[in-house]
Amino acid sequence: MDGKMTYSIEIQQSSLWDKLKDKRAPLSFNIEVTARCNNACRHCYINLPEDDSAAKELELRVAEIGDIAEQAVKLGAMWCLITGGEPLIRPDFPEIYLMLKRKGLLVSLFTNATMVNQGHVELFKKYPPWDVEVTVYGITRETYERVTRKLGSFDMFMNGLNMLMNNGVRVRLKSMAIRSNLAEHGAIAEFCRKLTKDNYRFDPQIHMRYDGDPMRNSEINAERLIPQEVVALERAGEKRMKSIQQNCSTLINNKFTHKECDHLFHCGAGNWIFNVGYDGKFRLCSSLCQANTVYDLRKGKLTDAWFNFSPSVLDMRSHRKEYLETCRRCPIVNLCLWCPAHAHLETGALDGTTPYFCQVAHARADSLISRKQLGDPYY
Amino acid sequence: METNITHDTICTPSDDVVARKIEGEIVIVPLVSGIGDADDEFYTLNETGQAIWQKLDGQRTLKAVASDLASEFSSPKAELENDVLGFVCELTRMGMLVAKR
Repeated sequence: MDGKMTYSIEIQQSSLWDKLKDKRAPLSFNIEVTARCNNACRHCYINLPEDDSAAKELELRVAEIGDIAEQAVKLGAMWCLITGGEPLIRPDFPEIYLMLKRKGLLVSLFTNATMVNQGHVELFKKYPPWDVEVTVYGITRETYERVTRKLGSFDMFMNGLNMLMNNGVRVRLKSMAIRSNLAEHGAIAEFCRKLTKDNYRFDPQIHMRYDGDPMRNSEINAERLIPQEVVALERAGEKRMKSIQQNCSTLINNKFTHKECDHLFHCGAGNWIFNVGYDGKFRLCSSLCQANTVYDLRKGKLTDAWFNFSPSVLDMRSHRKEYLETCRRCPIVNLCLWCPAHAHLETGALDGTTPYFCQVAHARADSLISRKQLGDPYY
Repeated sequence: METNITHDTICTPSDDVVARKIEGEIVIVPLVSGIGDADDEFYTLNETGQAIWQKLDGQRTLKAVASDLASEFSSPKAELENDVLGFVCELTRMGMLVAKR
C-alpha cells in the first residue's frame, strides 16, 4: 500500500491517458443544441433566426440529448461542449446543462453572452462549467452591432460578460477577424487579454454556411480578409507566429507522406471527437455536413455511428485528377484551411479546390520563408 | 459540520460527485463547486484507492471494508485499517465521501 491515493491531475499525466491515447475513442463531443441565435452575425456559418419555427421543431429534445450523452458516456466520453446557434436561447438550457453534468461529463459552453441572466450565473456558480467561451465581435457598440446586426446587443453582451466574470465563472475569450471588425482587431485582442488569464485566440479565416444559403454565403465572402491581412494579423501575434514557426517542419512538408494516396481524410476527424447537430445528425467534425458523411442518431445508435459508419467515411477516396494533383500532394496543405469538410462547404464537393484557401496558405508560407531569410530570431 | 471518522464509521460517495469507470479506472468528477482542491479538476484513484472506493457502499463500517480488503490483498489488517481510514478522511475532507454515521 502506498501513501496518497487520490490524484487531481491533468489527463495527459494520468495512467488513464496512457490507455486512451492510442485508442480511437470518442473522448469528447460537441452538441449543437440549436441553430437559432438572437444575433444575426454576418460571418456566421450556422445561425438561423430566433423565431425560426421549422428549426426549433427539429431541435433535439432534452431526453434525446440525454440519450445520446448516455451512449457517449458509455463509450468513454469525458468532455462535452454545448454550442449552437446560441445555446442560451433555449429556455430548457439549465435542464440540458445539469443533465450533462450529472452524467459525469466536463461541460463547456460556447455563447455570445448576450442572454446570460442571474439564473445562469447561479447555475454556473453552483455547478461550475469546465469553461465558458465567449466570442468578442467588437468592443465598441458600433463595431459589435455592425457584426451582429442586432440593436442593443453590445449592451447585452457587456452585461452578460460582466455577470460571468464578476461571479468567478471561468471564461475564455476569442474573436473572429473579419472585414466588419478589422479596424478594431488590436483593441479587441487587448480587451480580451486584459480580462482573462488564459490565452486569447482569434480566427482570421471563416468558412461557408452549413445550409449553403447563397445570400448568406455571399455575406461571408464579403467579410473575408485578403491573404495579406490574414498573415499580417498572425505575424502581429508573437505567440501565434512562434507556434507556427516551431511547427514549420510539419507545416511545410516537401515529402508529404500521403502524396500517392487517394484517401480524402488525413486529419484527426473521427479519432477522438464527434459532433451532434441540433437535428440529431452525427458528424465526424463540426464542419463536415455532406449528406453521405452524416448519420442520423434519431434513427440509429452512437455505437453504430462511431464504429461502423465513421470508418466508412474516413475511407472515402477521390478520383478527381485536379484534387489529386493539387491539394492532395500540396506541401503546404497544413497551412491551409483546406479539408474535405471545408471543400464541401465551398464547392459542394469533398475534393473541390478553393483558390482563396490556396492564396492564404501561400501567403503564410511566403511569410515563414521570408522571416527565415531575414534572420528573424524567432525563426 | 466536521464528522469524526473512526473505524466504525459507515461512508458512501457524495451526491456532489459523479464516479465513473473508464478503461477500468475510477474517475471522480466534481458536480458542484467546492469539491476537492479546485473546481476544474477531475480525480483518479490509485489501485488501493479504487479497491476501497468500490467497497464504500453505505452499508459496511470502515473496519469491515479493511477486513474485506485484507483477505483480497493478503496484507496485514491493521495496516489496511489505517489505509482505509486515511483514504476516507482525505476524501471526506475533499467532499467526495460522506459519513452516514
